[in-house]
Amino acid sequence: MTKRRLSARIFLFCALPLCVTALRATVARADDQPDRTHRIGKKLKCMCGGCNDTAATCYHVGGNFSGPCGVATGMLKEIDQQIDRGDSDDLILQFFTQKYGSVVNIEPPHTGIGRIAWAMPVVYLVVGTLLVFFIIDRWRRRSAAVAFAGAPGEHVSPELLEHARQRVARETED
Amino acid sequence: MDVFGSFALLLAFLCAVYAFVGGIAAIRTRHPLLIKSARQAGIATCALIFLATGTLVYLFFSDSYWVAYVVAHSNRDLSNFYKVAALWSGQEGSLLFWSFLLSIYIFSVLIAYRHKNGELMPYVGVVLAGVQIFFLTLNNFVASPFKVLGVAGAHGTFDIFTRADGNGLTPLLQYPEMVIHPPNLYSGYTGFTIPFAFALGALLARYPGEKWIHLTRKWTMIAWCFQTVGILLGAHWAYAVLGWGGYWSWDPVENASLLPWLTGTAFLHSVMMQEKRGMMKVWNVWLVFTTFLLCILGTLLTRSGVVSSVHAFARSSIGGWFVGFLIVIFVVCFAAYAKNSDYLKSENRLDSIVSRESSFLFNNLILLVSCIAVLSGTLFPVFSEWLSNSRISVGAPFFNKVNVPIGLFLLFLTGVGPLLAWRRTSTESLKRNFGWPLIIGILTGVTLLIFGIREMFSLVCFSLCAFVTATIGMEFFRGARVIRSRSGASLFSSAVDLTMRNTRRYGGYIVHMGMVFIFIGLAGSAFNHDTQKEVKIGDSMRIGPYSLVLQSFDSIPEKNYTSERMIVEVMRDNKPLMMLYPERRFFQTNEQSGTMVAIYSTLREDLYVVYAGQSPETQLPVIHAYLNPLVKWIWLGGLVVVLGTIVTLLPNRRAVLVLSAAEQRADAAAVAQSLAPSATFREGHD
Repeated sequence: MTKRRLSARIFLFCALPLCVTALRATVARADDQPDRTHRIGKKLKCMCGGCNDTAATCYHVGGNFSGPCGVATGMLKEIDQQIDRGDSDDLILQFFTQKYGSVVNIEPPHTGIGRIAWAMPVVYLVVGTLLVFFIIDRWRRRSAAVAFAGAPGEHVSPELLEHARQRVARETED
Repeated sequence: MDVFGSFALLLAFLCAVYAFVGGIAAIRTRHPLLIKSARQAGIATCALIFLATGTLVYLFFSDSYWVAYVVAHSNRDLSNFYKVAALWSGQEGSLLFWSFLLSIYIFSVLIAYRHKNGELMPYVGVVLAGVQIFFLTLNNFVASPFKVLGVAGAHGTFDIFTRADGNGLTPLLQYPEMVIHPPNLYSGYTGFTIPFAFALGALLARYPGEKWIHLTRKWTMIAWCFQTVGILLGAHWAYAVLGWGGYWSWDPVENASLLPWLTGTAFLHSVMMQEKRGMMKVWNVWLVFTTFLLCILGTLLTRSGVVSSVHAFARSSIGGWFVGFLIVIFVVCFAAYAKNSDYLKSENRLDSIVSRESSFLFNNLILLVSCIAVLSGTLFPVFSEWLSNSRISVGAPFFNKVNVPIGLFLLFLTGVGPLLAWRRTSTESLKRNFGWPLIIGILTGVTLLIFGIREMFSLVCFSLCAFVTATIGMEFFRGARVIRSRSGASLFSSAVDLTMRNTRRYGGYIVHMGMVFIFIGLAGSAFNHDTQKEVKIGDSMRIGPYSLVLQSFDSIPEKNYTSERMIVEVMRDNKPLMMLYPERRFFQTNEQSGTMVAIYSTLREDLYVVYAGQSPETQLPVIHAYLNPLVKWIWLGGLVVVLGTIVTLLPNRRAVLVLSAAEQRADAAAVAQSLAPSATFREGHD
C-alpha cells in the first residue's frame, strides 16, 4: 500500500469522524450567547463564603443544601436590577467591588498585587524554558566533547564493545 | 466492638514503631533475624489496621449509635451500600481509610519482596513504617473514629450514652459514584508512597543502578491510574450531582488532587530517560519526593480550611500535623540527598535537540509549570491577604487562561514525543512520521474554520487532536501491516498482536489516545449553552434542537428522603425522543437536600436537565437546561486511559516461530529449507 493510501485511510478512520462530530456538536451553537446577567455573574465570586465559585454557577456544595445557592441567586437578581436601570457592565462590577471589596472579583485584577498572580505563570514558563535550553546546551557540549575524545584510531577493547552493544540494545528497545 | 477497634489501632501503632526502630537497628547491625522481625512487624501493622477498619464498618452495619463517628455519619434508614461510603465521609473515618489503603500497598510490597532485594528492602520498610506511624498517630491520638458518646455519672463515672438514631450521611455522598470516587483518589494518593519509599530507600542505601526504578514502575503506574480515575470520577460526580452544568471548577480541593497527578505524570515520562540513557537521576528522585510531598500538601489543603473550598466536610484543625509532617519529610529527603548526592551522578549527554530526550525535557517543563501555576494560584488568596491585607480571589477563569495554552502544548508533545528517536531524529524520519499527520491536523483546523468555528483554543485543540490521532493511528497501522504480511491475520488481530508484543510502548499510545479523547471533551466546553424557565404542566421550552415539555411534577416520599420530581418529555424535530426525571431530594434526618440531574448523553452532546426549585413569586417549578457538547468524550477518554494503563502493566508476549503440521512431519533438512517462507508466529509469555 502506498503512503498516500495509508494516510488517506488514517484520515478517514481517525480524523474525519472526530472532525464531523466536533462540527455537528459545535457549529449549531456558535452563535448562541449566555444572557448578560449570567455573563456578568461569571465575573463575580459568589459571596456565600463556602466556595470558590462564581455567582452564575454556585451550587454551594457541602452547605445545608445543594442547588442554586441563595446568595448567588441574590447577586444575580441585583445584577438584573442594575441592568434594568441601564447600568453598563463596568458600572455593575464596580458596584459589587464597592459593596464586597476586591475579593468579589473572580479573577485577580490587572493592577497592584493582582499583577503578581498574572505574572507568576509567565515567569515560571520563561525561567523553565531558559533552564531547559541551558540544560540542553550543556548536555550537547558534553556529548560533543565525548565524541571528540573517542575519535577514530583509539583502541576499543572487547569489554567496551560489549558494553556498547548492550547499551545500544537497551536504548533502541522501546 | 469499639474497644476492639481502638485496641487494634493502638497495637498497630506500637507495631509500626517497632518496624521503624527495629528496621533502623537491622540496617545498622545487618542481623538477619532483626531484619525479619522488623518486616513481620510491618506486616502485623497492616493486618491490625485491616482489623480496625473492619471493626468500624461493622459498627456502621450494626447501627452502633453510641460511637460518635457512626452517629455523625449514618442513620438507620441509610442503605447498606451507603453505609460503606460513610466510612470515609468524615475526618476520622477518612484518615483511617487512608491508613487502610496505605496498608494494602505496604502489605503487598512487604509480601512480594520478602525474598528479594535484601539490601534495599530494610530501608524501604523503615520509610514505609515512618509514614504509617504518622497516620496511626492521627488515628489513635488526634482523630480517633472509635470515640464513644457518654455522660458523666453520679460518682464521677463515665456512662456510655446510646442515641436512638444517627444524623445521617450528607446527601451529596448518597450517590453511587461517591462509593468509588474517594477510594480511587485515596488509592492514588497513598499509592505514591511506594515509589517514594523505594526512591528514598535506594538513596539512603546507595542502591546501585536503576533497579529501584524497575521495581517501582508498576506501583507508580497503578497509583497514577487510580489518581486519574479518582479525578475523573470526582469530575463526573460533580457533573451529575451538583447541577451546575460543569465538571471542574478549579476548587482548591480539586486542584490539590491534580498537583501530584501532574508531577506523577512527569515522573512516568522522565523515568524513561533514566532507564534508557541513565540520565536525570537527581531529577527523578526529586520528582518522586515532590509527588509524595504534594499528596500530603493536598491533604493539608483539603483539611485545614486555609483556602475556601466547596469541600466543607473536610475542614478541621488538623492542618498543623500535616505541616509538621511535610517539614519532616522535606528535611529527611534533603538530608538524604545532600549526604548521597554523589550516588546520583549521571552521564547526561544529548546529541540533538530534535530527539526523544528533548521532548521529555519539554514534557516535564510543561507539566511542572502547570503544577506550580496551579499551586501558586490556589495559594495566592492567602498570600495576597498576608501581603496587602486584602484577599484577592483566584477562580476558574484565571486557571483556564493559564492552563489552556499549557494543555495544548502538552497535547502537541503527546503527538510528537513518542515518534522522535532517541539521541537524534533525522529530517527524513521527521518527514515520514509527521508529514501526513501535520497535513491532517491543518486540514481539520481549516475545515472547522470554514464551517464557522471561531473559538481559537477549541479550534487549535481539535486540530491537535486530529494530528495526535493520526500519529498514533499511523504507528499502529505500520506495525500491524508488517505483522499481517507475515502472519496473514486481519489488520485488527495484527494490531492486537503488535500491542501485546510491546505492551509498554503501545499501551502508552492507548493512554495517549485516551488523553486525546479527554481533550476533545474539554474543547467542547467552549460551546456550552444554558437556559432557564418557569414552566406549568404542558408548557415547553427550547434548547438547541430539543424541546422540553413538562409532563408532571409531584412529591414522592421515599424511605430516607422525600423527592420532588419532574417528568420531562424530550422532543427532537417534533418527535418524542425520551423522558427525563430531574429531581431534588430532601433528607429529613439532617434537613439537607440534594439535586439529581437528568442527562441525555450522546457522543455529540449532553442534554442536561436540572429541577432548579420552585419560583418564590409564582411557585412554579423551574427547569434549568444545559446543552454541553462532547462531554461524553471525557468519560470515554478515562476508560481508554485505564485500558491503556492495564496494557502497559501486562508482560510482553514473545513471538515464537512454530512450524505447521506438514512441516513437522518433514525431515529436518526439508524443514530447514521451508522455514523462511512458511513459518507462522505464535505467542508465548515471557
